[in-house]
Amino acid sequence: MILDQLTVSPAAFADRTGWEAKPEGLCKGDICVPAPEAVATDGQLDVQVLSQKLGMPLVSDSARGIHALGPEANGRSLTTAVAPELELPTLSADRNPFKLSALHGRKVLLVAWASW
Amino acid sequence: MSLPGWQALHAELEPLGVTVVTVALDIDPAKAQPWVDAAAPTHPSLVDSAHITNELFGFNNVPMAVWIDETGTLVRPAESASIEGRDTTSPLPEGLPDRVVELMTEARKIPDIADGYRAAVLDWAEKGPDSEFALSPAEVIEASLPRDTHHAEAAANFELGQHLFRTVGKDAAIPFWRAAHALDPTNWTYKRQAWTLETTPEGEPSDMMQPPTEVYEGNWLDDVRASGGGENYITRPSFL
Repeated sequence: MILDQLTVSPAAFADRTGWEAKPEGLCKGDICVPAPEAVATDGQLDVQVLSQKLGMPLVSDSARGIHALGPEANGRSLTTAVAPELELPTLSADRNPFKLSALHGRKVLLVAWASW
Repeated sequence: MSLPGWQALHAELEPLGVTVVTVALDIDPAKAQPWVDAAAPTHPSLVDSAHITNELFGFNNVPMAVWIDETGTLVRPAESASIEGRDTTSPLPEGLPDRVVELMTEARKIPDIADGYRAAVLDWAEKGPDSEFALSPAEVIEASLPRDTHHAEAAANFELGQHLFRTVGKDAAIPFWRAAHALDPTNWTYKRQAWTLETTPEGEPSDMMQPPTEVYEGNWLDDVRASGGGENYITRPSFL
Protein backbone atom coordinates (compact mmCIF):
# COMPACT_ATOMS: atom_id res chain seq x y z
CA MET A 1 0.00 0.00 0.00
CA ILE A 2 1.52 3.32 -1.12
CA LEU A 3 1.47 6.13 1.44
CA ASP A 4 2.74 9.70 1.49
CA GLN A 5 2.46 9.93 5.26
CA LEU A 6 2.67 7.48 8.13
CA THR A 7 -1.01 7.59 8.97
CA VAL A 8 -3.90 6.09 7.04
CA SER A 9 -7.66 6.12 7.35
CA PRO A 10 -9.25 2.86 8.54
CA ALA A 11 -11.41 2.77 5.41
CA ALA A 12 -8.49 3.12 3.02
CA PHE A 13 -6.50 0.52 4.94
CA ALA A 14 -9.41 -1.93 4.84
CA ASP A 15 -10.04 -1.35 1.14
CA ARG A 16 -6.45 -2.10 0.21
CA THR A 17 -5.51 -4.84 2.68
CA GLY A 18 -8.73 -6.40 3.97
CA TRP A 19 -7.74 -5.58 7.58
CA GLU A 20 -10.56 -3.78 9.39
CA ALA A 21 -10.26 -1.73 12.57
CA LYS A 22 -12.84 -3.13 14.99
CA PRO A 23 -13.38 -2.71 18.76
CA GLU A 24 -11.65 -6.04 19.34
CA GLY A 25 -8.62 -5.08 17.22
CA LEU A 26 -7.42 -5.26 13.64
CA CYS A 27 -9.34 -8.08 11.99
CA LYS A 28 -9.20 -10.02 8.75
CA GLY A 29 -11.26 -13.15 8.27
CA ASP A 30 -11.21 -15.08 11.53
CA ILE A 31 -8.05 -13.37 12.80
CA CYS A 32 -8.10 -10.36 15.13
CA VAL A 33 -4.96 -8.69 16.49
CA PRO A 34 -5.42 -6.44 19.53
CA ALA A 35 -3.80 -3.10 18.76
CA PRO A 36 -5.41 -0.24 20.68
CA GLU A 37 -2.33 1.92 20.15
CA ALA A 38 -2.83 1.75 16.37
CA VAL A 39 -5.74 4.21 16.46
CA ALA A 40 -4.78 7.85 17.01
CA THR A 41 -7.06 10.38 18.65
CA ASP A 42 -8.14 11.68 15.25
CA GLY A 43 -9.27 8.20 14.21
CA GLN A 44 -6.39 7.67 11.79
CA LEU A 45 -4.26 4.53 11.99
CA ASP A 46 -0.55 4.74 12.82
CA VAL A 47 1.23 2.96 9.98
CA GLN A 48 4.32 2.12 12.04
CA VAL A 49 2.14 0.39 14.64
CA LEU A 50 0.28 -1.47 11.87
CA SER A 51 3.63 -2.57 10.46
CA GLN A 52 4.79 -3.90 13.82
CA LYS A 53 1.54 -5.51 14.95
CA LEU A 54 0.57 -7.14 11.66
CA GLY A 55 4.05 -8.02 10.42
CA MET A 56 3.73 -5.74 7.42
CA PRO A 57 7.15 -4.48 6.27
CA LEU A 58 7.41 -0.74 5.75
CA VAL A 59 9.76 0.34 2.96
CA SER A 60 10.47 4.03 2.38
CA ASP A 61 11.98 6.30 -0.20
CA SER A 62 13.10 8.84 2.37
CA ALA A 63 14.21 11.41 -0.16
CA ARG A 64 10.76 11.56 -1.72
CA GLY A 65 8.74 10.90 1.43
CA ILE A 66 6.95 7.90 -0.09
CA HIS A 67 6.32 4.65 1.73
CA ALA A 68 5.07 1.19 0.81
CA LEU A 69 3.43 -1.01 3.42
CA GLY A 70 3.79 -4.60 2.35
CA PRO A 71 1.47 -7.53 3.00
CA GLU A 72 1.44 -9.37 6.31
CA ALA A 73 4.10 -12.04 6.67
CA ASN A 74 2.03 -14.75 8.30
CA GLY A 75 3.69 -17.71 6.68
CA ARG A 76 1.21 -18.14 3.82
CA SER A 77 0.09 -15.71 1.15
CA LEU A 78 -3.55 -16.22 2.16
CA THR A 79 -4.81 -15.72 5.71
CA THR A 80 -8.43 -16.29 4.74
CA ALA A 81 -10.24 -18.06 1.91
CA VAL A 82 -12.66 -15.16 1.53
CA ALA A 83 -11.77 -13.65 -1.84
CA PRO A 84 -10.62 -10.05 -1.43
CA GLU A 85 -12.37 -7.31 -3.32
CA LEU A 86 -10.55 -6.39 -6.50
CA GLU A 87 -11.38 -3.30 -8.50
CA LEU A 88 -9.44 -2.73 -11.70
CA PRO A 89 -9.96 -0.98 -15.03
CA THR A 90 -11.10 -3.02 -17.98
CA LEU A 91 -8.94 -3.15 -21.09
CA SER A 92 -11.68 -1.46 -23.06
CA ALA A 93 -11.59 1.92 -24.73
CA ASP A 94 -13.22 3.64 -21.77
CA ARG A 95 -11.20 1.76 -19.11
CA ASN A 96 -14.36 1.31 -17.05
CA PRO A 97 -13.65 -0.03 -13.56
CA PHE A 98 -14.79 -3.56 -12.76
CA LYS A 99 -15.37 -5.01 -9.30
CA LEU A 100 -14.87 -8.71 -8.69
CA SER A 101 -17.79 -8.64 -6.25
CA ALA A 102 -20.10 -7.95 -9.20
CA LEU A 103 -19.78 -11.66 -9.99
CA HIS A 104 -21.11 -12.81 -6.60
CA GLY A 105 -23.42 -15.74 -7.25
CA ARG A 106 -21.29 -17.13 -10.08
CA LYS A 107 -18.16 -19.23 -10.09
CA VAL A 108 -15.09 -17.23 -11.13
CA LEU A 109 -11.86 -18.39 -12.70
CA LEU A 110 -9.49 -15.45 -12.11
CA VAL A 111 -6.48 -15.72 -14.42
CA ALA A 112 -3.35 -13.56 -14.25
CA TRP A 113 -1.40 -13.10 -17.48
CA ALA A 114 0.95 -10.50 -18.95
CA SER A 115 2.30 -9.25 -22.25
CA TRP A 116 5.83 -10.11 -21.18
CA MET B 1 -0.21 -15.83 -24.92
CA SER B 2 -3.40 -17.76 -24.34
CA LEU B 3 -6.07 -15.08 -24.13
CA PRO B 4 -8.04 -16.65 -27.02
CA GLY B 5 -7.97 -19.92 -25.11
CA TRP B 6 -9.32 -18.32 -21.93
CA GLN B 7 -11.98 -16.52 -23.97
CA ALA B 8 -13.03 -19.83 -25.56
CA LEU B 9 -13.22 -21.43 -22.11
CA HIS B 10 -15.35 -18.54 -20.88
CA ALA B 11 -17.77 -18.98 -23.79
CA GLU B 12 -17.97 -22.70 -23.05
CA LEU B 13 -18.49 -22.38 -19.30
CA GLU B 14 -20.63 -19.25 -19.06
CA PRO B 15 -23.85 -21.28 -19.44
CA LEU B 16 -22.67 -23.43 -16.52
CA GLY B 17 -22.38 -20.39 -14.27
CA VAL B 18 -18.64 -19.83 -14.58
CA THR B 19 -17.13 -16.47 -15.55
CA VAL B 20 -13.52 -16.24 -16.62
CA VAL B 21 -11.84 -12.99 -15.55
CA THR B 22 -8.41 -12.21 -16.97
CA VAL B 23 -6.03 -9.71 -15.38
CA ALA B 24 -3.05 -8.37 -17.30
CA LEU B 25 -0.14 -7.68 -14.94
CA ASP B 26 1.33 -4.94 -17.09
CA ILE B 27 2.73 -1.68 -15.81
CA ASP B 28 1.95 -0.25 -19.25
CA PRO B 29 -1.61 -1.21 -20.28
CA ALA B 30 -0.78 -0.33 -23.88
CA LYS B 31 1.49 -3.39 -24.04
CA ALA B 32 -1.41 -5.68 -23.16
CA GLN B 33 -3.97 -3.97 -25.38
CA PRO B 34 -3.02 -5.60 -28.72
CA TRP B 35 -3.40 -9.06 -27.20
CA VAL B 36 -6.81 -8.13 -25.87
CA ASP B 37 -7.92 -6.58 -29.14
CA ALA B 38 -6.92 -9.77 -30.96
CA ALA B 39 -8.79 -12.01 -28.53
CA ALA B 40 -11.94 -9.84 -28.54
CA PRO B 41 -12.96 -11.01 -25.08
CA THR B 42 -16.55 -11.04 -23.93
CA HIS B 43 -15.33 -11.91 -20.43
CA PRO B 44 -14.09 -9.22 -18.01
CA SER B 45 -10.59 -8.39 -19.21
CA LEU B 46 -8.81 -6.22 -16.66
CA VAL B 47 -5.42 -4.57 -16.30
CA ASP B 48 -3.44 -4.30 -13.08
CA SER B 49 -0.61 -1.85 -13.66
CA ALA B 50 0.41 -1.96 -9.98
CA HIS B 51 0.44 -5.78 -9.67
CA ILE B 52 -1.92 -5.54 -6.68
CA THR B 53 -3.49 -8.84 -7.73
CA ASN B 54 -0.21 -10.61 -6.92
CA GLU B 55 -0.28 -9.46 -3.34
CA LEU B 56 -4.00 -10.05 -2.80
CA PHE B 57 -4.14 -13.57 -4.25
CA GLY B 58 -0.52 -14.74 -4.05
CA PHE B 59 0.43 -14.95 -7.71
CA ASN B 60 4.16 -15.09 -8.41
CA ASN B 61 4.21 -15.90 -12.13
CA VAL B 62 1.92 -15.96 -15.15
CA PRO B 63 -0.27 -17.57 -16.14
CA MET B 64 -1.67 -18.41 -12.73
CA ALA B 65 -5.26 -18.61 -11.52
CA VAL B 66 -7.52 -18.94 -8.50
CA TRP B 67 -11.00 -20.44 -8.37
CA ILE B 68 -13.75 -18.57 -6.50
CA ASP B 69 -17.15 -20.09 -5.75
CA GLU B 70 -20.60 -18.45 -5.80
CA THR B 71 -20.22 -17.21 -2.22
CA GLY B 72 -16.97 -15.39 -2.93
CA THR B 73 -14.85 -18.09 -1.29
CA LEU B 74 -11.59 -19.29 -2.80
CA VAL B 75 -11.71 -23.00 -3.51
CA ARG B 76 -8.27 -23.20 -5.10
CA PRO B 77 -5.26 -20.98 -4.26
CA ALA B 78 -2.91 -19.33 -6.73
CA GLU B 79 -1.34 -21.99 -8.93
CA SER B 80 -0.18 -22.26 -12.51
CA ALA B 81 -2.97 -22.45 -15.04
CA SER B 82 -3.00 -23.42 -18.69
CA ILE B 83 -5.71 -24.05 -21.20
CA GLU B 84 -3.85 -24.58 -24.45
CA GLY B 85 -1.20 -27.21 -24.99
CA ARG B 86 2.21 -26.28 -26.38
CA ASP B 87 4.28 -27.73 -29.17
CA THR B 88 7.36 -29.11 -27.47
CA THR B 89 8.53 -31.59 -30.09
CA SER B 90 8.72 -29.88 -33.48
CA PRO B 91 12.25 -29.04 -34.60
CA LEU B 92 13.28 -25.48 -33.80
CA PRO B 93 13.72 -23.17 -36.78
CA GLU B 94 17.23 -23.23 -38.19
CA GLY B 95 19.52 -20.25 -37.97
CA LEU B 96 18.40 -19.00 -34.57
CA PRO B 97 21.05 -17.40 -32.34
CA ASP B 98 22.54 -19.84 -29.83
CA ARG B 99 21.05 -17.94 -26.90
CA VAL B 100 17.56 -18.16 -28.39
CA VAL B 101 17.94 -21.89 -29.01
CA GLU B 102 19.03 -22.38 -25.39
CA LEU B 103 16.09 -20.32 -24.16
CA MET B 104 13.53 -22.15 -26.29
CA THR B 105 14.99 -25.49 -25.25
CA GLU B 106 14.61 -24.56 -21.60
CA ALA B 107 11.09 -23.23 -22.19
CA ARG B 108 10.10 -26.56 -23.72
CA LYS B 109 10.90 -28.24 -20.41
CA ILE B 110 8.12 -26.28 -18.69
CA PRO B 111 5.44 -28.88 -17.88
CA ASP B 112 2.42 -28.81 -20.17
CA ILE B 113 -0.52 -29.02 -17.77
CA ALA B 114 -3.23 -27.83 -20.15
CA ASP B 115 -5.21 -31.06 -20.54
CA GLY B 116 -5.32 -31.87 -16.84
CA TYR B 117 -6.07 -28.30 -15.86
CA ARG B 118 -8.92 -27.98 -18.33
CA ALA B 119 -10.44 -31.27 -17.15
CA ALA B 120 -10.32 -30.09 -13.53
CA VAL B 121 -12.00 -26.77 -14.34
CA LEU B 122 -14.76 -28.56 -16.25
CA ASP B 123 -15.29 -30.94 -13.33
CA TRP B 124 -15.64 -28.02 -10.91
CA ALA B 125 -17.98 -26.20 -13.29
CA GLU B 126 -20.30 -29.22 -13.35
CA LYS B 127 -20.04 -30.45 -9.75
CA GLY B 128 -19.26 -27.31 -7.75
CA PRO B 129 -18.40 -28.14 -4.13
CA ASP B 130 -18.70 -31.86 -4.88
CA SER B 131 -15.80 -31.65 -7.30
CA GLU B 132 -12.72 -33.44 -5.98
CA PHE B 133 -10.73 -30.37 -7.05
CA ALA B 134 -12.64 -27.90 -4.85
CA LEU B 135 -10.77 -27.37 -1.59
CA SER B 136 -12.05 -26.34 1.84
CA PRO B 137 -11.10 -22.88 3.17
CA ALA B 138 -8.49 -24.40 5.48
CA GLU B 139 -7.01 -26.39 2.60
CA VAL B 140 -6.88 -23.28 0.40
CA ILE B 141 -4.97 -21.32 3.03
CA GLU B 142 -2.61 -24.21 3.69
CA ALA B 143 -1.96 -24.67 -0.03
CA SER B 144 -1.36 -20.99 -0.73
CA LEU B 145 2.23 -20.02 -1.49
CA PRO B 146 4.61 -19.22 1.37
CA ARG B 147 4.92 -15.62 2.50
CA ASP B 148 7.65 -14.97 5.04
CA THR B 149 9.21 -11.65 5.95
CA HIS B 150 11.41 -11.71 2.86
CA HIS B 151 8.45 -12.30 0.54
CA ALA B 152 6.48 -9.49 2.21
CA GLU B 153 9.40 -7.08 2.12
CA ALA B 154 9.92 -7.91 -1.54
CA ALA B 155 6.27 -7.08 -2.23
CA ALA B 156 6.65 -3.69 -0.54
CA ASN B 157 9.82 -2.93 -2.51
CA PHE B 158 8.19 -3.95 -5.77
CA GLU B 159 5.10 -1.84 -5.14
CA LEU B 160 7.21 1.18 -4.21
CA GLY B 161 9.19 0.68 -7.40
CA GLN B 162 5.98 0.50 -9.43
CA HIS B 163 4.80 3.75 -7.89
CA LEU B 164 8.10 5.50 -8.55
CA PHE B 165 8.17 4.20 -12.12
CA ARG B 166 4.83 5.84 -12.78
CA THR B 167 5.41 9.07 -10.86
CA VAL B 168 9.16 9.73 -11.25
CA GLY B 169 10.63 7.42 -13.85
CA LYS B 170 12.32 4.09 -14.35
CA ASP B 171 15.63 5.03 -12.77
CA ALA B 172 13.90 5.79 -9.48
CA ALA B 173 12.25 2.36 -9.52
CA ILE B 174 15.32 0.25 -10.23
CA PRO B 175 16.89 0.17 -6.71
CA PHE B 176 13.61 -1.04 -5.23
CA TRP B 177 13.05 -3.62 -7.96
CA ARG B 178 16.59 -4.91 -7.50
CA ALA B 179 15.82 -5.28 -3.80
CA ALA B 180 12.59 -7.12 -4.57
CA HIS B 181 14.45 -9.53 -6.84
CA ALA B 182 17.03 -10.26 -4.16
CA LEU B 183 14.48 -10.69 -1.39
CA ASP B 184 12.15 -12.99 -3.34
CA PRO B 185 13.90 -14.67 -6.26
CA THR B 186 10.95 -17.07 -6.60
CA ASN B 187 8.67 -14.28 -7.80
CA TRP B 188 8.89 -14.20 -11.58
CA THR B 189 6.44 -11.31 -12.01
CA TYR B 190 8.80 -8.96 -10.16
CA LYS B 191 11.69 -10.01 -12.35
CA ARG B 192 10.04 -10.39 -15.73
CA GLN B 193 8.20 -7.07 -15.51
CA ALA B 194 11.43 -5.22 -14.67
CA TRP B 195 13.60 -7.08 -17.16
CA THR B 196 11.24 -6.49 -20.06
CA LEU B 197 11.30 -2.74 -19.45
CA GLU B 198 15.06 -2.86 -20.03
CA THR B 199 15.05 -5.11 -23.08
CA THR B 200 12.01 -3.91 -25.03
CA PRO B 201 12.87 -1.33 -27.72
CA GLU B 202 10.78 1.83 -27.68
CA GLY B 203 7.41 1.30 -29.30
CA GLU B 204 7.86 -2.46 -29.67
CA PRO B 205 5.77 -5.25 -28.12
CA SER B 206 7.01 -6.51 -24.75
CA ASP B 207 10.19 -8.53 -25.06
CA MET B 208 9.71 -12.05 -23.73
CA MET B 209 13.31 -13.23 -24.22
CA GLN B 210 14.66 -10.96 -21.47
CA PRO B 211 18.40 -11.39 -22.01
CA PRO B 212 21.08 -10.20 -19.56
CA THR B 213 21.29 -6.47 -18.87
CA GLU B 214 23.67 -4.23 -16.99
CA VAL B 215 20.85 -3.14 -14.69
CA TYR B 216 19.71 -6.40 -13.11
CA GLU B 217 21.74 -9.35 -11.92
CA GLY B 218 19.36 -11.92 -13.37
CA ASN B 219 17.77 -12.78 -16.69
CA TRP B 220 15.19 -15.34 -17.77
CA LEU B 221 17.41 -18.13 -19.02
CA ASP B 222 20.03 -18.04 -16.28
CA ASP B 223 17.47 -17.63 -13.50
CA VAL B 224 15.35 -20.52 -14.77
CA ARG B 225 18.44 -22.71 -14.87
CA ALA B 226 19.47 -21.57 -11.40
CA SER B 227 16.06 -22.50 -10.02
CA GLY B 228 16.29 -26.05 -11.31
CA GLY B 229 15.35 -25.67 -14.94
CA GLY B 230 12.11 -25.31 -16.88
CA GLU B 231 10.73 -28.37 -15.12
CA ASN B 232 10.47 -26.30 -11.91
CA TYR B 233 9.30 -23.06 -13.49
CA ILE B 234 5.62 -23.35 -12.65
CA THR B 235 3.59 -23.78 -9.47
CA ARG B 236 2.09 -27.09 -10.48
CA PRO B 237 -1.45 -27.64 -9.16
CA SER B 238 -1.53 -30.38 -6.55
CA PHE B 239 -3.78 -32.53 -8.76
CA LEU B 240 -1.28 -32.63 -11.63
